Order: sequence, then C-alpha cells, then structure tokens
Amino acid sequence: MDIDDLLAEVVVDATPRETRDLHELTRSWVAERVAPELLPWPADLMDRVLERIRKQIELVEDQTGNMDPKTNFELIIIQTELERFKFLVRSLLRARIKKIDAHPLHVQALHAASLNTPQPLFSPSEHQYLTSHQTLLSTHYSSSFLGQFPVSLQRLDDTTGGISMIDKPDEDKAVFARALRDIGDIFVEGTDRRFEMKRGDVWVVRWSAIRQWVVGAGTGDVELI
Amino acid sequence: MYGETANKLVQNAKRIQSLPHLPPYASDLSRTIIREVRDLDRDVANILAPYGSSFNPSADPSTACALLVNHLCMRRNKRCLLAYHKVRAQKLESYCWEGVDALEQSGSGASGEGGMGSKKEESSLSPEEEEYVRQYSDLLAAYKGQWTDIDLTGSLEPPRDLFIDVRVLKDAGEIQTEYGSITLTKNSQFYVRHGDVERLIAQRYLQRLS
Repeated sequence: MDIDDLLAEVVVDATPRETRDLHELTRSWVAERVAPELLPWPADLMDRVLERIRKQIELVEDQTGNMDPKTNFELIIIQTELERFKFLVRSLLRARIKKIDAHPLHVQALHAASLNTPQPLFSPSEHQYLTSHQTLLSTHYSSSFLGQFPVSLQRLDDTTGGISMIDKPDEDKAVFARALRDIGDIFVEGTDRRFEMKRGDVWVVRWSAIRQWVVGAGTGDVELI
Repeated sequence: MYGETANKLVQNAKRIQSLPHLPPYASDLSRTIIREVRDLDRDVANILAPYGSSFNPSADPSTACALLVNHLCMRRNKRCLLAYHKVRAQKLESYCWEGVDALEQSGSGASGEGGMGSKKEESSLSPEEEEYVRQYSDLLAAYKGQWTDIDLTGSLEPPRDLFIDVRVLKDAGEIQTEYGSITLTKNSQFYVRHGDVERLIAQRYLQRLS
C-alpha cells in the first residue's frame, strides 16, 4: 500500500454517502450498458437511491404551491436533479430488462446458481418478470405452432442435435476499461497475450478477461467506460 | 419440401425487422411448414417401423442418412418458425413499451389512446398474437407498477432541462400539473415541465420545440 492508496481512502471517507451513491449508480449504469453480460443486481445501492428519490418527490409535493421565489428556485434545482436520478435508474433497469429478454434461459440458469451467493443476479421483481414472460412466450409458441409438432421436438431448451437452443451473450466482446487500482498481470484466455494493468490505465480488452475485477460483477478494481 | 418454405418464412422475418409496421401474419406459410414437419415425422416413423427398436446406423448407412436428413429438416423448420414468431413477438413487445397499442389499432378502440397508426394493421395479428399482446401488456403494467416513481416507459434520452417548449398538434383537453391545469388546444404553445407532458409527446399530441 503506498501513499496514493492511503490518500484515496481518506478522500472516499470524506465524501458524503449521497455523493458516493451517485458515483456508484453512475458506474453501475455505465457498466450495465457496456458489459455484454447481465451484472448482479446492486440491491443495497438501489434501495438507498429509491428511498431518496421517494423522499425528494414527497418534498417536492409538499413544497409546490409555495410562491416564495427562493424556495421555488430551490425546488427547480431539486426537480432537475430528481429527473436526472430517475433517468439513471430507468435507463439501468431498461438495460437489464433488454439483456434478460435477449437471453432468458441463460440468465435464468445463472440466477439459479447465484441464489446462494450474497449478490443474486436479479431483483425479485425482475425474476418475476422473467418467469412470467417465459411462460407467456412458450404458451404463445405452442399455441401458434409448437403444439402441433412431434412431441420430441416441442422443447425450447433443447441442447442436442449440434446446436444448443439456449442463446448466450458474447463473452469475448471488447470493452473499454479503466483500472481504479493496480491489478497486476492480466492474461487473456485463448490467446498468449499478457499485460499489466496499472491504476489509471485504460485498455480495450475482452470482457471475459477482466470480468473478475469489474465494478458490480467482481472486486470493483476496474470500471467500464 | 425439405425446408424450402421455411426459408421464405425467415426472409419474411428478416423483412419485418426493418419495417416500421407489422405485416400480416403468414398463416399459410406456417401451416405448410407444420404440415411438412408432420410429414417428415411420419416418414421417419415409417422408415424405422420395420426395424423395431434394433436399428443399427452403421449396418445400414443409407437409411441412417435418410433419417438424419429428415431429422435435420424438422429441426431447421422448428428453428425457422421460432425465429419468425420471436421476431414478431419482439415487435409487439416494443409496441407495448412505446405505449402504441397494437390491439387498439385493430378497431376495438375503446379509450382515447388509439387513433394513431394505420388501419392496415387491423388483421395483421394472428389470434394467438393478440392474446400474447394482451397478456404482455398486463405483465408490463405489473412490472412497471413496482417502479411508479421512476416511470419505466419514460424517455431514454438524458434529461437536460426541467422545462421545455411544446406546441400542441392535436387537441388533448385539459391536463393537471403541479402548477395548475393547462388546456391544450391545437396550435397553442406552452412552457411546461418535461415530465408532465412526456406521454403526450410520445403519443404525438405535442411537439417539442428546441
């Protein structure tokens, strides 16, 4: 640990929780939009953010009608901030839903595997959405055509016959990543490339190679940009 | 035979992806394909029948090959049908997210939300798809309901200004805002809070002036 790390820790402690939450939210929003895979649901962070949004909305509702120019101006600032927060959360949720809809069976399997870890992949409502959507889709398929097929061909998660029916995201997609702390040697699987990632470095690298350090999915030493 | 019709269906699906509206459901094509699959399946059963349960592929390569071809064709047909239905379903889902009512356009138009979009889409959904849209919008509403503060279907453009200038394109009646009610009559202009009129802009009652 050198002086930079010590300084960094002091700075982190000095910034208020709200500001840190905003940074975290922005980071997970960017990460979720850039990463090819679905990242674990940041439950604690979202709870805090949503709680704060709710409070601010209440505050705004209380204060409207107050014609004092000073509070009115404050209110506009609060509302602008509120809109921006809402946008971040909305965009994050939509990015997640898009990924869930793109690879439903794959993420469902991952979620089942992550249930006993401290960070499950979905929030409860996302899980509910996924299961009902899958039921809807399979009912739709079977009433449209699948029901008239030979029984051996009616499955939707068939992995025999050379082609698996479960679609997976491309884990080797390249992402832009910035190191927040020194990481050391990174080895890109499937190639003989090896490189060192230092604090502040920006690399274009395969997602699968740095996944274990990324904010939200791993140790949090790397942020996606 | 052997996947030719399925090819047409996939081309059809590819076309749908770039079209702004949903073309009519290709019920003839999919019916032909389903029939083809059933025929192939019967073929397989007929070929296998004399062997009972003791068919050995290496002893009779030509029969094994015929079976394989039939089998691969069935699987291919299934994939093609799935792809076609999936593309259409996705299109319908995106309608639901955008708040365009795919069913409303088909004439049942009870509430005031319909009215835009063309009559062309009247018969373009299969009955199964209509059912699917209905259930999906229920599902979406249920999921959205857990995020009332956020308004999930809201704009995905980052907000810049709290207040924006809008021009009214169609009479939309009176709306309630935190600053009192506004009557939106055609051709008038207002300076309003973005969040209050977002839906109306999406439904093309209002136009945003930049």
